[in-house]
Amino acid sequence: MKKIIPLSMLCALSLMADATLDSIQKELETQKQKTATLESQMQALSRANTKQSASFSQNAYLPDIAFILDMSAVARDVNNTTYSNYAIPGFIDAPDTPELIFNPNRGFNLNYAELALHSSVDPYFDAFLVLHLQSNVFEIEEAYVITTSLPMGLRIKAGKFRSDFGRLNKKHHHSWHFDSQALIHEALFGPDALKDPGVQLQWVAPTDTYLMLGAEAMQGTNEASFGASESNNLYIGYLKSSIDVSEDISLLGGMSIIHGENFVNNTLNPTDLYGIDFTLREQLGAYSSLLWQNEFIQREKNLGTRVDKQAGFYSELIYTYNNNYATGLRYDAITQNDTDLSAYSGVNTDNLDRFTAMLEYKPFEMSRLRLSYTYDRSKIISGERKNINEVMLSLNISAGAHSAHDF
Amino acid sequence: MKKIILTLVLGLTLASANINVDTTYSTLGAIVKKIGAEHVNVTVLGSSKYDPHFIVPKPSLLAKLRRADLLIINGGGLELGWLPPLLRGAHNSNIQNGAKGFLDISHSIAMINVPASVSRAFGDVHASGNPHYITDPHQVPIIAEVIYKKIKLLDSSNANSYETNYQSFMQEWKEYLTEFDAKMQVCKTKKVVQYHLLFNYFLNRYSIKSYGNIEPLPGVSPSSKHTIELIRMMQNEDIKVILQDVYHEKKSASFIADKTGARVATLPHDVGSLKGSDTLESFYNTIAEQICR
Ligand SMILES: [Zn+2]
Repeated sequence: MKKIIPLSMLCALSLMADATLDSIQKELETQKQKTATLESQMQALSRANTKQSASFSQNAYLPDIAFILDMSAVARDVNNTTYSNYAIPGFIDAPDTPELIFNPNRGFNLNYAELALHSSVDPYFDAFLVLHLQSNVFEIEEAYVITTSLPMGLRIKAGKFRSDFGRLNKKHHHSWHFDSQALIHEALFGPDALKDPGVQLQWVAPTDTYLMLGAEAMQGTNEASFGASESNNLYIGYLKSSIDVSEDISLLGGMSIIHGENFVNNTLNPTDLYGIDFTLREQLGAYSSLLWQNEFIQREKNLGTRVDKQAGFYSELIYTYNNNYATGLRYDAITQNDTDLSAYSGVNTDNLDRFTAMLEYKPFEMSRLRLSYTYDRSKIISGERKNINEVMLSLNISAGAHSAHDF
Repeated sequence: MKKIILTLVLGLTLASANINVDTTYSTLGAIVKKIGAEHVNVTVLGSSKYDPHFIVPKPSLLAKLRRADLLIINGGGLELGWLPPLLRGAHNSNIQNGAKGFLDISHSIAMINVPASVSRAFGDVHASGNPHYITDPHQVPIIAEVIYKKIKLLDSSNANSYETNYQSFMQEWKEYLTEFDAKMQVCKTKKVVQYHLLFNYFLNRYSIKSYGNIEPLPGVSPSSKHTIELIRMMQNEDIKVILQDVYHEKKSASFIADKTGARVATLPHDVGSLKGSDTLESFYNTIAEQICR
């Protein structure tokens, strides 16, 4: 620096006429002084910022901690008690409706507080813990370790975790584009989603194109599709791949398969699921994008005497205008429902579907207000097919450690 | 004899195998190319068109990270919003934080603007100091040195070649800086405002004072109250240059320019952000020309 300044002075000076030499020299002198003061100020500042550490303090090893709060105000044309006993024919039967987690009540809901912790354990493992807290529920939503040093593109996850089956299952509620669970996910896995104690092995191929293969073995406690609990009996496999059509257009696709066992009528029988998912995302600007996400899942549930075949999908389109505003539409539908629907005789159980529209405002990237309207034609309320209108304003905040953005 | 041939063949194949270097941003990539030349395959992960804080985590980046021998990051928290999940999803043990193939350049930089206290109430503050050191051409030799040492360590078979490239780049850059500093000494612009604190390292280097930002707080969109205050301040201080980056909205800057008679200078924040800024030299030249014009 010191050498450079006189050198550059020389260079500059040689170009100048003698008449202006004095004034330029003066200017340069003042510049030099300014730089010197600035530099000493900078040094003083950085000295002040070097904190002294307490001899045995371990604060530097604290995990990254984030807490997430989710709340809503809901208007719905069904009263709370009847709504809590809704049925989705062929999938969820009243009065065995599972307890609703998200937005059960008209009026105000505090849906949950979530505490998410992450830390490197050692050079070989990273650990994650996600606690899901409701007024009278404490749940370990996820608690797992992943390996960081396996060779050949392999990674193992072990503990309790959300399965990487399909596209949406792995994602937590606060990173969904809509406040309600996709209909086919709710129908097949219930509000708790597909999560269990287990192990997962994933492999990323060493290719130009992203290709990932994964296999999971899980306990299989999910009541909605499985529920045999005497031993681990749930096996999941998937393949995911992605290509960039252009610098700004990316496609992501996946195929998934599940083999598990159900325990209906006290006998063990196989349940198989097949899923395909497809996402297209176009980046329109630094903060603007278009996302089209689709997922189709089919279930074959063997009940000994018959095999039920049921399927459904969702398709959602999200337009992010800038870092403050986004809007989106979702269509959910049950497309196949070959099961015993005799309990619903006299009730129309065809064309179960749902429309949702939302408008999102983020004052800052860690907080989100979302206004949504849902027209739900998938439910039976008190033995009657009832099309439900719902308007919701939800608030989600995530404080503390910054969780990176999703694709 | 067989052993010798085997060693020779092995040695030859090893010597000709390139190392894959991923950098998070384009300027770092350009420096790697100067030193690694034909022995490295450089992949830049983040597009220089967009906000470096919010690179889109495309799944295709996972495939790029999967095969990297070396990952060079800017550091200082700039990649916090997009890189960690990609790094976990790429399953590449060579480039995990702490591994031999991981290099955080910010650890070698004297960081400025280190906040005395950190809270999100002050916006998305860079907790470990301003990470946008890349805009100062005097940081290039420091960056080149750590990159050179790392690449030489990972691929000692081409050490001589790296040393030659490094030495000639240092010489080339020294001459470039001499000329560049001379040009900056006669730069008339002494007072500016900017959108985000992207150019502080450059401005400090050349004693240009930044009086404020268009964003009221880091990562927060402009508000009319803040904009009016900024305009008033610019009129009082007689500030005639607004530094605009390529990825933020441009309406606020042109509104402020209208009210104050100031000029909007659009600057590249990384190599290739703007047309005509595709090389290291043209990148810094464009910054200088835009500010001093
Ligand atoms: Zn920044």
